[in-house]
Amino acid sequence: MNWKMSRVVRTIADIMVVPIIIFGIYLIIHGHLSPGGGFQGGAVIASSTALLIIAYGSFGKHKDSLSSLESTGLTLFILIAFLGLGYTVFYNFLASGGAVFGGTVPYGINPGRLDSGGTVPLMNIMVGLEVTAALSLILWMMAKGSDSMDVEEASV
Amino acid sequence: MISWFLHLPFLVVGILVAIGLYTVLFKNNLIKIIMGIAIIQNGVNLFLISLAYRKDGVAPIWTSAPDEFMVMPTPHALTLTSIVIGLATTALLLSFVMMIKRHYGTIDADKVRRCRE
Amino acid sequence: MNFVEHAPTLILGLPLLFAFLIPLLGRISKDMRDILFLMGLLLTGLFVGIMAYEVLTVGGWTYVFGASTSEPTNPITSYFRITFVADGFSVLATLTIALVALGAGLFSFDYMAGHAALDKFYSLFLLTLAGVNGMVLTGDLFNLFVWFEVTSIASCGLIAFTNYRGKSVEAALKYMILSVLGGLFLLISIGLLYGQYGVVNYKLLSDGIAGSPGLFVNKLALGILLLVFGMKASTVPMHMWAPDAYSESPGPATPLIAITSLGSLFVLFRLTFGVYGVNMGPGVIGTILIILGVLSMFIGVSMALVQSDLKRLIAYLSVSQVGYMTMAVGVALTTWTAEGINGYGIMAMEGGLFHMINDGVYKALLFLAAIAVIHATGKRDLNELGGLAHKMPYTTVFFLLGALSIAGIPPLSGFSSKLLIYQSVYLYHPILAIIALVVSIVTLAVICKAFFNAFLGPDQGQTKGEVPKGMLIAMGLLTVVLIIFTLFPHYVVAEIVVPAIRALGVIP
Repeated sequence: MNWKMSRVVRTIADIMVVPIIIFGIYLIIHGHLSPGGGFQGGAVIASSTALLIIAYGSFGKHKDSLSSLESTGLTLFILIAFLGLGYTVFYNFLASGGAVFGGTVPYGINPGRLDSGGTVPLMNIMVGLEVTAALSLILWMMAKGSDSMDVEEASV
Repeated sequence: MISWFLHLPFLVVGILVAIGLYTVLFKNNLIKIIMGIAIIQNGVNLFLISLAYRKDGVAPIWTSAPDEFMVMPTPHALTLTSIVIGLATTALLLSFVMMIKRHYGTIDADKVRRCRE
Repeated sequence: MNFVEHAPTLILGLPLLFAFLIPLLGRISKDMRDILFLMGLLLTGLFVGIMAYEVLTVGGWTYVFGASTSEPTNPITSYFRITFVADGFSVLATLTIALVALGAGLFSFDYMAGHAALDKFYSLFLLTLAGVNGMVLTGDLFNLFVWFEVTSIASCGLIAFTNYRGKSVEAALKYMILSVLGGLFLLISIGLLYGQYGVVNYKLLSDGIAGSPGLFVNKLALGILLLVFGMKASTVPMHMWAPDAYSESPGPATPLIAITSLGSLFVLFRLTFGVYGVNMGPGVIGTILIILGVLSMFIGVSMALVQSDLKRLIAYLSVSQVGYMTMAVGVALTTWTAEGINGYGIMAMEGGLFHMINDGVYKALLFLAAIAVIHATGKRDLNELGGLAHKMPYTTVFFLLGALSIAGIPPLSGFSSKLLIYQSVYLYHPILAIIALVVSIVTLAVICKAFFNAFLGPDQGQTKGEVPKGMLIAMGLLTVVLIIFTLFPHYVVAEIVVPAIRALGVIP
């Protein structure tokens, strides 16, 4: 199941992947200030995977690395949640502290501050990692056909 | 007159859910059944979004909030969650259908009933 | 700070953490992966134990996520956050879930050995566990929806884990379509309640419903909730997924999927008692529950009569057992008035809830023994099995104990809870008690057929010997619990079941 689109398509895909990924990262980073966030940004980044798969038709051996990235994102997310255990789980211990990520946003109409939000932007980044990896994995597996189908019949 | 107009989204919700349910119940193609589920899902999302609407309310974002009132954020969060979960369930359902096709050679719901034997 | 107050969230968070760690660190070595899985299970069990001890000795509490203290300080703002409820009812539910998950988890080491992609199996197992725990612990409808979907997706992944078998995928697809539809209708019902009352928290919602009990939207939402959780709990006529899912899922996953349906029943009882309460014309809901229960008991057991597949037979029996609990709790609900609940109502409630924890344990034991038989022989058709008692004495004893419990034979714990149900239901209406007794007798007939066919008779040389030690230890653990329930039923009812009833607000 290998195909390859014409040179025009492949070149355009190569060029388009860069702005798609940058836009995805923008959405993830600004998730706590504007509509967007980890899931949306990750979905945007994963769409570049779809583009590459369609253009090149080759898959490479990325399954393990994508799977690791997904687990890493999720594990770090839960760990950040557990870091608030001194108070409660999911407690935003960085917010309003003045340190990195700890700025305070003034009330009213304003552009917002990127370093505010406490643990929320960190969690957004973790979710972004997870969603990027998971959606790419889904696309990759679906395009390739499920590869775990070749398992021998092990038990009844 | 205005109040009648505000009920229109709920009418659309009813139509969407009815179309989706019809598809799920009476179509045999598994892909069509999943499409029916997606239609119901969109209907339900529209339902929640319409619930949250308040006339002249602004988007519930801290940095763009003047002293007016906002639309209700909880249904928005619920809708977002529902969309995210919907992505996962749709992907899972489609993968199942791919495997069904490989095992049974068909995606006709009437012919996929080996469990009953 | 003490870790006791965080117990409800750790019960949920630790399985999640280990579910995500296993695919990552499990790559180091196979032992690492197994150790992580075992740690996840044991730590979850430990915190269930800690929470149970704290709630039963000191009292329950509400855990507020993300606040600076876990106690709800401001009644309004605290309840708009995510809350978890640690009360008697949560203890009963999480204990049932933890016991079964521990048994099934220990069983899976030897059963799944040699299987490919085991880290995914362990992950899905822990995710399902986290999902069910979340469903029974959560204090608001929003989270109920989230954990409902987590449970659905993870358990469908478990069913389809043996995706080289077409039947597994078919069963998973069927269950998944029903679950997704269920989730969407749950969302509609949440939307209806939110649109009316503007809250999703159980406590505030309960106050809101008490203020205006007669609204049509209450009844519509409750009807949808009954439909959704009745489907998940595999009550007839929404049971069609259950036999397929139970019989086609890979071995140790079966008890876990059975426990997701029990967990849904726990949620249904929390919603009908805790949220709707006495204001909602309990007579009607009670009658609906009784009808569902009688149908489940009767149709489940009569379908079990004609099965020749061992696992499918037990699956239908489990549908029929769910009927007992639904009927008993339905009877309790009909007797509940503003003045309180009368004598036999409390007895029915005790019987129903005691039967739930009982049923969780002996059904898991029965399933695991049947899976051990299938593992050892490679056959699942009762007509092809025979004479296994010669080579597999321990499994035979475990199967017999589970089987006699499910049939409600006197000394065993299944009898204690069923006796409470018979007595109380008889006072409500004699015909219900007669139906329950008849179903019990037919269950005995079914289980006798299975036992005689599979275990007795001449040795046919179908198996080389007993199943590996790990499986025996898992079944032994559940047997010990079953024997404790058998020896001290009164103690269990007084110490675990009555606090659960108290937490639902039925008795002060």
